[in-house]
Amino acid sequence: MTLHVDGVSKRFGRIVALDGIDFRVEPGEVFGFIGPNGAGKTTTMRIVLDILRPDAGQVTWHGRPTAELPRRTFGYLPEERGLYPRMNVLEQLVFFAGLHGLSREQARRSALGWLERFRVPELAGRRSDELSKGNQQKIQFIAAILHDPEVLLMDEPFTGLDPVNVAMLKAAFGEMSARGRTLIISTHQMEVVEALCGSIAIIDRGRVVVGGRVRDVKRASGRTVVRLAVEGDVGVEWAAEIAGVRVSRPGHDYTELTVDRSVDPETILRAAIARGARVIRFEVAEPSLEEIFIERVGYDPGDRIDLAPPEASGVPAADPAADPAPVTEEPAA
Amino acid sequence: MTPRPPDAALLPNAALVARREFLERVRSRAFAVATLILAVVAVGLTFIPIIVRAADRETTVRIAVVADDPALAGRTIELLDGFLNQPPQGADPATFTRRYRFSRESSADAGAAAMAAARVDALLMVGRTSAGGLAFAYRTSESALSSRSQVLQVVTFAIALFDWQAEYGTRPGVPPFQLPTFTVQSSAASAGGSPLDSQETASRSILATILIVLIFITLTIYGMWVATSVASEKSSRVMELLISTATPRQLLVGKVVGVGAAGLTQYLAIVLPAAGALLLQDRIAAFFLGAGTDASVPLAGPNPAILLAFGVLFLLGFLLYAFIYAAAGSLVSRPEDIQQLALPLSFLSMAGYFSAVFGLASIGSPVVAVLSYVPFFSPFVMLARLSLGHVQPWELALSLGLLVAAIGVAMLVATRIYAAGVLLYGQRPGLRAFVRAAITGGNG
Repeated sequence: MTLHVDGVSKRFGRIVALDGIDFRVEPGEVFGFIGPNGAGKTTTMRIVLDILRPDAGQVTWHGRPTAELPRRTFGYLPEERGLYPRMNVLEQLVFFAGLHGLSREQARRSALGWLERFRVPELAGRRSDELSKGNQQKIQFIAAILHDPEVLLMDEPFTGLDPVNVAMLKAAFGEMSARGRTLIISTHQMEVVEALCGSIAIIDRGRVVVGGRVRDVKRASGRTVVRLAVEGDVGVEWAAEIAGVRVSRPGHDYTELTVDRSVDPETILRAAIARGARVIRFEVAEPSLEEIFIERVGYDPGDRIDLAPPEASGVPAADPAADPAPVTEEPAA
Repeated sequence: MTPRPPDAALLPNAALVARREFLERVRSRAFAVATLILAVVAVGLTFIPIIVRAADRETTVRIAVVADDPALAGRTIELLDGFLNQPPQGADPATFTRRYRFSRESSADAGAAAMAAARVDALLMVGRTSAGGLAFAYRTSESALSSRSQVLQVVTFAIALFDWQAEYGTRPGVPPFQLPTFTVQSSAASAGGSPLDSQETASRSILATILIVLIFITLTIYGMWVATSVASEKSSRVMELLISTATPRQLLVGKVVGVGAAGLTQYLAIVLPAAGALLLQDRIAAFFLGAGTDASVPLAGPNPAILLAFGVLFLLGFLLYAFIYAAAGSLVSRPEDIQQLALPLSFLSMAGYFSAVFGLASIGSPVVAVLSYVPFFSPFVMLARLSLGHVQPWELALSLGLLVAAIGVAMLVATRIYAAGVLLYGQRPGLRAFVRAAITGGNG
């Protein structure tokens, strides 16, 4: 009794968009669907919604192919937001809810109720091209949930929202999840996933790289994170000399170390004390999803993931004072 | 067999889409302005018959009388002049322009020569029968049933009566009064059993041309409405939400029907005032042309049957073209890009338009008949044929049947293109993209 994306493949001409994607989402769960740009997230969502048909595999919800289910089973918040620019907000909401089978009266009541709950009842009579971006996004979210879908798919739901609206949206997610609705959030904002999702699938180049319950994914990484700070302006680079330990994030407040599971974090603490350092922070934690993501989406440890230096590209550096621009004296053609 | 979700039925979603589309159209200011302008133009067009009538009033008809007996010829001309050139009530006899001018030709051959040389418009030949009665023969380029020949026939009765009276007193043995015979030798084109005189043919051709132009313009404009509407749903990205909410077929049919309903609303808003003007035409004519106007001059204005045919052909033609335009709109990313597709699409309607307009001149030709069955052309060409009264019922049924079948095919092909096209962004529109989308349906 799950949403099962079952070995789905999809090609567009010569480009392989999905290559046997396979994962399950439990009912009532908030599921994080993570991947770099172009990994196939939107294509997967479109196949779940039966906007696209897969070349191989299928998607089932409670054992039935989604292509056979009524479209109102699903709600969808696309990544590219869009409303009818010259249409009034309430009419627009009633229209979309009507397409999902709600009567005009039901749709009206539900739309006004949600506008009230998002604290924007005054938007009902406004044209959508008069709204701020954040408000348009709220309207679009309401359009996706007016018919109370069993499964709600959202592509980057938080981009462009201020923190207050993010909090409102998160609260709405929580409510829907508590009522047994299934939420799938596609994003590359890891902190969102950490905060909301019970399970995830990380996909890259059309394949699921890692998936499952967030706790299990973190455990399975085979690493622990140690955050270490010592008194005085002393570095802790020496820690990297311990086998199985590397500096994953040097910082002012503390340094983050990635530690193989074979190494006991205590070893690091003992080594610090042995060097006479006064330890003011020592924290053992699971690796963040961001680390797992960077590690798992196919970057080899040798790959540089930092910004290349400006002189290599001829592009002026971000700080022109530090680097006199060499391109200002171009002879006129 | 592809599985279909239970809410993939055309209704009610197509109706909702159509309703939204319709309301957005008819509420727009551009719609109101265009409708108003076209309604004024249409009412203006209904004045054409009145203008024709006014022009006819100004024309002088020249009739040559041919008779062996000079006295008979003189009497005939005198009576014709008295009857036909009566000034209308209230007109000043001094300034009144005579509508008929009469002359005498010595023989039928001379009269025919004068007619051929366009020195006269018609010949009235009078002879005496062996029984003593009069025999009239009227030679004209108008139809045998034209009102003018009917008026003449009435006058010949009076001529015969005066002739009998005149002859009765002068010589003995005059037989009792005999009714004159009156034959018309018409050179007017006769077609489909109902003869048309040149004036009526011209008048109907003008009307047909106007209606064909109207169909051409409205098909193109409403077709572009459909294409632009699809493209702006893509560019505003509302399409993403739509396509996850309703099936491509619901969206496409709803859009076409909604725009079609708006078009039909505009059509009615244009035609109804024009029809009203038509009904009041005699009164309007009396107002403008003055009292006593000869109301029996034939009017070949827009009659209800032609307007109905126009409505049906417009609707079916619109559906056919609209599906093609919708498919085209789904292939571009921005409404501005439609212009690139509009030109090749307009070739199709232009071909139909030109074959219809040129077909009016040779309406009986087999080429025109064949073109009136070809779906993309039939809305234009069939209208031309109907206007000139050349169509058998089975021909009309065949043409409409083929048109309806073509609409079905266009809908299926357009749905495939649309389903593929609406999710594609940034590709160059072109015929190749069109064909590829139709074949793969977006799944290639």
